[in-house]
Amino acid sequence: RALSGRAGPRSVRQLQEAEAVAPRFQYAGKATKRKDRVFVWGFCFSGALGISSFVRPDAGWKKPRRVQPTPYRLETLEKISSAACGYGFTLLSSKTTDITKVWGMGLNKDSQLGFQRSRKDRTKGYEYVLEPSPIPLPLEKPQQTRVLQVSCGRAHSLILTDSEGVFTMGNNSYGQCGRKVVEDETYSESLLIHQLNEFDSRVVQVVCGQDHSLFRTKKGAVYACGWGADGQTGLGHYNITSEPTKLRGDIDGVNIIQVSSYGDCCLAVSDEGDVFGWGNSEYLQLACVTETTQVNVPRHLPFKIGKVKEAACGGTGNVVVTEEGNVFVWGYGILGKGPNLTETAVPEMIPPSLFGQSDFNPDVRVVHVRCGLSQFAALTNRGELFVWGKNIRGCLGIGRMEDQYFPWRVTVPGEVVDVACGVDHMVSLVKSF
Amino acid sequence: LNAIAERAPRQHIRFLPSPDGDPGLVATKVPVLADHPLVKGPRFRQLKIGPGHRLDTKSSGVFVLGIGHGNKLLTDLYNCHLTKVYTVGGLFGKATDDFSDTGRLVEKTTFDHITREKLERIIAVIQGSNHKALLMYSNIDMKTQEAYELAVKGLIRPMEKSPPLITAIRCLQLALPEFQLEIHCLHETQQYLRKIVHEIGLELKSSAVCTQVRRIRDGVFTLDDALLRTQWNLQTIQKAIWDCQLKVKTELEKTL
Repeated sequence: RALSGRAGPRSVRQLQEAEAVAPRFQYAGKATKRKDRVFVWGFCFSGALGISSFVRPDAGWKKPRRVQPTPYRLETLEKISSAACGYGFTLLSSKTTDITKVWGMGLNKDSQLGFQRSRKDRTKGYEYVLEPSPIPLPLEKPQQTRVLQVSCGRAHSLILTDSEGVFTMGNNSYGQCGRKVVEDETYSESLLIHQLNEFDSRVVQVVCGQDHSLFRTKKGAVYACGWGADGQTGLGHYNITSEPTKLRGDIDGVNIIQVSSYGDCCLAVSDEGDVFGWGNSEYLQLACVTETTQVNVPRHLPFKIGKVKEAACGGTGNVVVTEEGNVFVWGYGILGKGPNLTETAVPEMIPPSLFGQSDFNPDVRVVHVRCGLSQFAALTNRGELFVWGKNIRGCLGIGRMEDQYFPWRVTVPGEVVDVACGVDHMVSLVKSF
Repeated sequence: LNAIAERAPRQHIRFLPSPDGDPGLVATKVPVLADHPLVKGPRFRQLKIGPGHRLDTKSSGVFVLGIGHGNKLLTDLYNCHLTKVYTVGGLFGKATDDFSDTGRLVEKTTFDHITREKLERIIAVIQGSNHKALLMYSNIDMKTQEAYELAVKGLIRPMEKSPPLITAIRCLQLALPEFQLEIHCLHETQQYLRKIVHEIGLELKSSAVCTQVRRIRDGVFTLDDALLRTQWNLQTIQKAIWDCQLKVKTELEKTL
C-alpha cells in the first residue's frame, strides 16, 4: 500500500500542490519570429501551382486534382519576396544572395521559365514544370545581385534586379522581351535570356501586360515595348515596338510612382494621386476622356475621388485604392457591387462595410489592390484578403466554383502580405501568426 | 398575488322562502356560492414561468423569464435570432479539461510573449471566419442584388438553426495573465465560449482557461432591465414587465 500512489478523490490542497509542481512548457518565447509561407490555389493541370502531386499523384489509386478551391501551402526553400502569376505559369523570387534566386513552375512552351533541362534527355527541355524549379540567370555578380521583383505576361516574363537591369525571357513575337523580332524563331527550349540596361535611371518596377512590357524608372518615367495594336505601348502608334521606348503624352514630366497592367489596358499613378490611362478602352475603361476604343497616348483621367495611392488593371475592369482606404471600380464585368452593376465608365466606390469595417472595427482600411484577368483582390490593413469577380476554375479560393459578385473573405491561416492574381490561379505570400 | 383583492363575487337572483314567515317564495339577490373564496380557493395556485435562453451553473448575467401568457412571446423572441453579448474573462498559462479554472489541469505554459497586438490579430481572424460563416448559414443566394445590399448594411443573419456564430468580438483589457473579451454571438452555449477562450490560448502558442462568463445583453434585455436577488418581489417584477413591454413589442414587429 505504501508503494502505490494516492487513492480516492483529491482534496483542494492536494490539487493545488500538484498544480504548482507540474512542469511549465514553453512553445514560443518573446523573440519567436513569424514564419513566411506561400499559399496557392486555382487550376492545377497547368502545373502553375507547383504541387506535382496534384497533376501526377504519388499513389496509383489517387486521382489527379483539377482544381484546388481553397488555399494550399506550397513549401519553398527560401523566403519568397515577390510572386507573379502569368497565363498558366508562376514565378517566385527571393531577395537572397545565393545563386538560385528565381523559381518558376507551369507552362514552359515559350521558355517563359527559361530553359529547364530535361533529366531524361540532356538536349531537350521540359514543356510543363510541375514543381518550383530554379531559373538560371546570366548574372555578372551572382552572389551580390538581388532580384527585386518578377512579372509575368501571357507567354513572357520579366525579372528585375537591383544592379544588373532587367532580364526578359519567353515569347518575343511582338518584341515584348525588348529585343528585335526574329522571323520564325522557335521560342520553346530556348536558352536566350535578354538583358535590358539602357534606361534613363534605375528601373524600380516591371509590369507585364498580355503581350507588352512596361518599365518604370526611378526618375518617374515609363518605358514600353511589345504589341501595340490597342495602343497599350502608349507611344502614339499602333505598331510593334521591339526596344523599350519612353512614353510621352500626359505623363511627360510627371513623377509616376506605380504602373499596372494585365490585359491590354494600362494605368499609371503619379505621386500627386492622379491617374493616367492608355491602351484598350473597349470596356469603358477610359471612356471618361474619350469615345474611341483604343488610346495610344497616355491620357489623364480626371476622377474626383481623392488622392489615389494604387491602381490595378484587369482584362475588362480597373480598380484603384485611395489614401483613405476606399476602393473604386469601373469598367465591365463583375465589378463587386452586386449582379446589377456590370459596366460603368465612372468609378464607383465599394462600401467599406464589405471589407470588414463596422462600428466594432472602424479603422479597417484597404491597403493594396491587385487584378487578375477577370478577378479582383484587395488586402486590408488587418492582413485579410478579399476577392471578387469571375471564378474561373476555382481561382478565387473561396471553396465554391460560382462567381462572386461582392468582396468575399478568403480564409488563409496567417496574415496576408501580398497576393498575385493570374488568369485561373492565385499565389499569396503570408506571414504566420 | 393572492393577497390582492379579487373581483367581487357575482350576484344572482334566487327564489328563497321569505324570512318573515309568509308562505311563498321571494326573489332575493344573493352572491353565487361558487364564487365564495372558501369554495373556489385561492386565485393563483401555480404560475407558469418559462425560461428564455439557457445559462449554465458556472455563468451569470441576464436571464429572461416568461410568466403566464408571456411564454408564447418567448418562442417569438427565439425566432427573432437576436445577438447576445457576453463579457468573458480568461487567464493565460493553464489548460484544463473543461476549459474553466475549476477543472483538472492538463498543461501549464508560459505566456510572457503575448502582446495586445497578437491577441487583436487572432481576434480579427476569429471575427473574419465567423463573419464568413454568418453569410453562408443565412441561406441567401449570394448571386442576387438583395444579398449584396443586405451584406453592405450588415443585416445578413441566419434565421434558422445554425451552429454557434460570433458576430463581433473585442478585447476589453489585457493585463497578463488575465484578459477580458466582449463577445456578441448567436445560437451559442456558455461552454462554447469557454472553448473559444481555450482556442485563443492555443493560437497564441500558450494556453488559456475561462474564469468568468457573464451575459450582459440578451436581445433587447440589458443589465439595467435585470432584477437583482433583492428585488424579487411583486412590485418590482410588475414594474419591470411594464417597462419592457414596449421594447419587446417593437422588436417583434420589426423582425416578424
